[in-house]
Amino acid sequence: MLRRLWNRVDFAASSAWQNFWRNAAVSVASVLIVWVVLLALGSLLLVLHSLDQIVALEKSRASAISVYLADNTPLSSIMDFKLHLEHDPRVTAVTYVTKDQAMQRFREMPALDPQVIDSLGTNPLPASLDVTVRDIRDLGAIDQEVRSSPLVDKSPATNYEPSVIDKIVLLARVAGIAGLALIVALTGLSVFIIMLTIRTAIYLRRKEIEVMKLVGATDWFVRWPFIVEGLIVGVAGAVVAVLIVGFGYRPAVQNLQSVLIFVPLSYDPSYLRLVLAAMMAFGLLLGTVGSYLGVRRFLKQ
Amino acid sequence: MDSAPVSARGDVAEEPSLISLQDVRKTYPNGTTALRDVSLEIPRQDFVFLVGPSGAGKSTLVRLLIREERTSSGRIFVDGRDLSRLRRRHLPYLRRKIGMVFQDFKLLPNLPVFQNVAFALRVTEGALRHLRPKVEEVLSIVGLEGKESKFPDELSGGEQQRVAIARALVHDPLIFLADEPTGNLDPATSWEIIQLLLQINARGTTVLMATHNREIVDVMRRRVVAIDGGQIVRDEDAGGYHAAPALEPR
Repeated sequence: MLRRLWNRVDFAASSAWQNFWRNAAVSVASVLIVWVVLLALGSLLLVLHSLDQIVALEKSRASAISVYLADNTPLSSIMDFKLHLEHDPRVTAVTYVTKDQAMQRFREMPALDPQVIDSLGTNPLPASLDVTVRDIRDLGAIDQEVRSSPLVDKSPATNYEPSVIDKIVLLARVAGIAGLALIVALTGLSVFIIMLTIRTAIYLRRKEIEVMKLVGATDWFVRWPFIVEGLIVGVAGAVVAVLIVGFGYRPAVQNLQSVLIFVPLSYDPSYLRLVLAAMMAFGLLLGTVGSYLGVRRFLKQ
Repeated sequence: MDSAPVSARGDVAEEPSLISLQDVRKTYPNGTTALRDVSLEIPRQDFVFLVGPSGAGKSTLVRLLIREERTSSGRIFVDGRDLSRLRRRHLPYLRRKIGMVFQDFKLLPNLPVFQNVAFALRVTEGALRHLRPKVEEVLSIVGLEGKESKFPDELSGGEQQRVAIARALVHDPLIFLADEPTGNLDPATSWEIIQLLLQINARGTTVLMATHNREIVDVMRRRVVAIDGGQIVRDEDAGGYHAAPALEPR
């Protein structure tokens, strides 16, 4: 029993390996296409995940606006204004943020070079009243009201940007659909190319297959080496893609953080592991489906 | 040479034939009818020459016996099994009962002699435990001891055919089908191959040999089944190639 199993595995694996190298050009092409598909898949999943994170954060921020105050506004006027806002039934909380506190927050932003801030000399950031509302839909009206107050800085008056979330959600949706379309197309292409690879291998082995059938090998015994070859292609493509995404994700996030200072990107290792596992599984699936389709028609009789 | 005809068409009443064709017709999809109403009984241990001109239907008959083709009508029994009812997944097990050799040997050029023969055991997972002794045994039957590590292109045509015969023997087949086994060989080598087939037959294996080799058929005086135009035109014990100007103008 064990001997049979070993014979089967040994035969399939060694034949598959020989096949792979016997038509190396086609095999490498199919590994490359699998690699491209998985790279696209992994990147898309990570980009969508980042966009999700941004949307979630923006949504939590969205129930509040910062009302920027003109410099040199007396503290008593600010407190009156704060009280006035607090009496508004739509408002749940108002927090006063001084210029120094604003600077402190700014310094705590990720990937910002403190030396750049220090080189500014004076503190350009305005003090603000951070107003939290019960219902996000009231933000627009409050924004309009506070703008008319003489205490409020005019450039800009608030950080109210009604369309930002919509924009990000739209971006995520477009990126998702475009990415998905690309991946579907590449998946089709890669299955097709793996199929061609397997058919080439079958063609090169046609004499051997003829003899195998003649002496009474079962269909599955004939098929296994080609299925295994497909798996080798899938795994080889997946391993390269997994390594690139696995090692490239953190530096990519760090680079983006330094460019997009105000975008809350973060490195999420647990999600990365999930993505890498999905890539590996998808690579195996591509290899299996491609080789099964390649084998199916040609080993029928 | 064994002079008694091994054919026993008359006295198989009790034991069913090893191979039995009943009103077999084969029409290919292109409309060509290769065999029509062929009925034939081949008992165990028989030695049969299948003769006839090219295109007469010999190869079709051979292909039907290993069910590389299916009959259009009629039935074929091999070792009691109805081939038309044989499930596809049981087909490999039928083929293990039938050793086959061809005019073109069908050896794998990249494998040495030993591996060519062992291949048949490996891919059918038969006798793996005794693979080496089994391969050595059949190589000694065909007289190729000492040539185990040679590659096919280092062998003569006759030796290559012996490798093919050895490969066909590793499963201890009930039936040995030889399709023009001497077609590519010179007369002397052809005789060696025939001697080998006789030996195999003497060990109890039924031999069916399709051939154009008039000399061999005439000298051997075994059972001869002649096919022409897809029909059996003659079936004689101890026959000759002959009745033959019409069959094989040469």
